[in-house]
Amino acid sequence: MDQIVQTFIIGLSNGLIFALVALGYSLVYGIIELINFAHGDVFMLGSMIALLLISGVFGVTAATSPLMIVIIVAAVILITMAVTATINVTIERLAYRPLRNAPKLAPLISAIGMSFVLQNIALLIAGPANKSIDNVLPSVNLLSYIGVNTVELSFRQVFVAVVTVPLLIGMSWFVAKTKQGKAMRATAQDPDTAGLMGVDVNRTIAFTFLIGGALAGAAGVVQILYNNVTVWNLGFRFGLNAFTSAVLGGIGNLPGAVLGALVLGQINAFSDRYVAANWTNAIVFMVLIGVLVFKPTGLLGQQLADRA
Amino acid sequence: MTAIVESERRPGGFAGWIGHIGDVLGAIPGAYRDALRTHPLRTTLLSALVILGVFYPLLNRSVLQGFSRNVFPLPIPDDTVVTFMLIFSIMAVGLNIVAGFAGLLDLGYVAFYAIGAYTAAFLASPHFGVVSIVLLANVPQGFPGIHIPFWFIVPLAMIIAGTFGALLGAPTLRLRGDYLAIVTLGFGEIVPVVFRNLADVTIKFNFLFINFSAEHLNLTGGPLGINPIDPPYLPGLGITFNASAGFAPVYLAMILLALGVLFARNLERSRIGRAWMAIREDELAAEMMGVHTVRTKLLAFALGASFAGIAGSLQASYLGATTSDFFQFSTSILVLIMVILGGIGNIWGVIVGAVALQYVNLTLLPYLGQQIQSIAPSFPNPAQFNFLFFGLILVVMMRFRPEGFIPNRQRAAQLSAHVLAAAAAERGEVVGLDNTGLDIDENIELAPPGQSEVGEDARAAETSDEARDL
Repeated sequence: MDQIVQTFIIGLSNGLIFALVALGYSLVYGIIELINFAHGDVFMLGSMIALLLISGVFGVTAATSPLMIVIIVAAVILITMAVTATINVTIERLAYRPLRNAPKLAPLISAIGMSFVLQNIALLIAGPANKSIDNVLPSVNLLSYIGVNTVELSFRQVFVAVVTVPLLIGMSWFVAKTKQGKAMRATAQDPDTAGLMGVDVNRTIAFTFLIGGALAGAAGVVQILYNNVTVWNLGFRFGLNAFTSAVLGGIGNLPGAVLGALVLGQINAFSDRYVAANWTNAIVFMVLIGVLVFKPTGLLGQQLADRA
Repeated sequence: MTAIVESERRPGGFAGWIGHIGDVLGAIPGAYRDALRTHPLRTTLLSALVILGVFYPLLNRSVLQGFSRNVFPLPIPDDTVVTFMLIFSIMAVGLNIVAGFAGLLDLGYVAFYAIGAYTAAFLASPHFGVVSIVLLANVPQGFPGIHIPFWFIVPLAMIIAGTFGALLGAPTLRLRGDYLAIVTLGFGEIVPVVFRNLADVTIKFNFLFINFSAEHLNLTGGPLGINPIDPPYLPGLGITFNASAGFAPVYLAMILLALGVLFARNLERSRIGRAWMAIREDELAAEMMGVHTVRTKLLAFALGASFAGIAGSLQASYLGATTSDFFQFSTSILVLIMVILGGIGNIWGVIVGAVALQYVNLTLLPYLGQQIQSIAPSFPNPAQFNFLFFGLILVVMMRFRPEGFIPNRQRAAQLSAHVLAAAAAERGEVVGLDNTGLDIDENIELAPPGQSEVGEDARAAETSDEARDL
């Protein structure tokens, strides 16, 4: 029982990080029907930037005072989000916007190319080895305060929730309530009509990439603080996990993406624990293939018109 | 022509067959003269290619080396690199069937390459040491493991890879293009994981009176892979086609590639090939015209996969070893870049793409890396960042020349429609609200005969003129 609860907690933290990245896939797919292959690598760049900021620029070590750590982590999250958002918008401008009228597979191929470009830029700068940072967050078991010692809920797992949940709520508020969010939904439904109604379609799409990039950057920071390690090809596997989450929940559907990510986080954790870690990727891909083949609309259904 | 008519009057049986073969051989010079007259450029190029292929050792060792020494110091690919150029050409021709002819994006093509390689590894190695099956192979009777000659493994690998292609395709080919791409990607990731992980399998089967148990079976060799694998061996001449055999494997790969090209070329011009192209252009219209779309796409998938099966079995037999590390997503993408760079849909284009890209990947970049390292050791080695260039190639090609450098004419019209539309839009012309590409396509089809050879600029002007009339 303890083991199951423990696995569930690990799965929940995995799932929350997946959710931030999955939203980026879902937003972009919802609006231009593009599987933004490079998105996982934007997330990886986010973790690299965070690593650089934490250990290089701010020089955080285990000895830094807790208050300073809180301030620095907040600053790192904001800076990283800004940088990855800029990167994502730049990618859209260079690699996808010129292909707006091309056959559908052309932007996908361009996105794959972009993914390799980003990976190799990281490889060029950071080198092929794993990059790690000092343990910034204290690794205390919060449950030991209430007398539970068999299950561990560490501070860093709470930290993951503290960062991701407000972002997820803010994101859904933004899409549902603001004018820009309305423009995004309109563009997703029918870009031509939205254009005729006065929505600047190109700007809206760029804005979608901005939000997606910012969320991926936040996920990158959370990832590096949670696992303490990143590597140049992290984005490929992680991105496919996040994409699978988006598909599982119903691509284009934002609550679906979060739900899918939480489910996939559990699948990952339980597979690691009860099957074998070296089968986890195969299991995730089987879930992906299974969902696409048997229920392509996902758990919560697709929220986009089928513009063939 | 007349020779074939005459042959109908000949006696049947063995003598008739010999006579028939003689007639066919006798007709070749005439047919060649005809071909030279009707398609002078194509026939000359093909003849030159055959001659270059036959005199490959002379070409590589004297002509190219001389050029490198005396004219311009370009590195010359060695026999291993040339073999790999040809192996990847076989793959590119196969992926071209799937992606170029039928228009299905397969991002997990490497899975079939892996299946071909492991087929060779299972059937021609001492890996399964508990049994001893030696069938006409170049190893002594009673040698542990299964040993089947390469010549039987190639068709088997084709069949097995093709079967897996059909198995993957059957449930997935109804999906839309981008979903299909992701499903194939997933398959391409699963297959190497399976080969890597099935190194310690315990099977226990206990049902009624059937009691079967096998513990710690090493099916696939795990991360170490399978090693050694018997090389291809030609009994009559006593040639072994392995990595230390010089230029012999190059000829073997050339012959397999030539057979593959012949097969793909005939497929392209057959009923199936026309059905593929109809599906690629407009699946709904093709279905209305009576094309069985799922079956036709399945055939493209299976036949494309069988080419990767050939390439995989050749690679494993030639290297004498295989591990799951050979078969990564980047390999699938490498083949895709070859197809896109050379000209999607054009067999000769994708071969040129494969040869050029493998040259850059395996010879030029390592050479440049060495040169740079000798001057500035701290500078990054470009050979390690090959996919930086390859990724850029994909992005730039999609943007500026999606039809590739040696394009297929129909494919070019379809793919560059958006480039033309963008050019028209820049001149301030409205080309239609939606489905711009489709409108322009129709216009090109409607162009009067005799204008189909006009250059791209003229065509752009022509289409935008017509588009304005809309």
